[in-house]
Amino acid sequence: MFDLKSAMKSAASGMNVQSFRLRILGENIANADTSGYQRKTVMFRNDFDRAQGATVVRTDSVVLDRSAPRQILDPGHPLADDKGVVTLSNVNPLVEIADAREAQRSYQTNLSIFDQARRMHSQTLGLLRR
Amino acid sequence: MKIESVVAPAFYDQAKKALDTQAGAEDAGANFSKALEAALQEMHRTVQAGEAASTAALSGTGDTQALVEALTATEMALETAVVVRDRVVEAYQEVLRMPV
Repeated sequence: MFDLKSAMKSAASGMNVQSFRLRILGENIANADTSGYQRKTVMFRNDFDRAQGATVVRTDSVVLDRSAPRQILDPGHPLADDKGVVTLSNVNPLVEIADAREAQRSYQTNLSIFDQARRMHSQTLGLLRR
Repeated sequence: MKIESVVAPAFYDQAKKALDTQAGAEDAGANFSKALEAALQEMHRTVQAGEAASTAALSGTGDTQALVEALTATEMALETAVVVRDRVVEAYQEVLRMPV
């Protein structure tokens, strides 16, 4: 049963980091039109949890995407520079949505592993029932 | 039946061995109840964690995923405890039904 519990711990940690990833993606999308905003990306790392005896995944750091921001020509904009160019964020909503879908798929996979480990435990115990 | 004095030590040895096995059985019983106690304490902790997670989720401060995790652990622990209890009670009843 110990291995099944470890599997559940690992799957739960995967669900945790995917939730965090979705949160960061939400922040990016919300700030897609914010001037000067740099999109954030999440780094993961694996970690051995001694107490649980399971290798789990954790969020390592949130790094800023240094790519060039979107610029539009709008001389009437209050944030326009002397050439009439407005600097927006470097968020591409399409990329964020694709990333969010990937987070959802990963969350689903982890959830099914969690459920399967639970069912395997229950089935094994079922042998003892009459 | 006549017991020779030479055979007496052998009988004594046999009796002593029988007594020793009894003491061993008592030890095993104590070990089993100790193990049961430890398992129950572990289960108690798990159930308490589940209750804490439920309270947190109901008051809006907790994470749904943490709630599911804690409640699943509680469910698994309770399921195991119930199955083991059933088996122990069943074995006890089996012994009671034994014709003497």
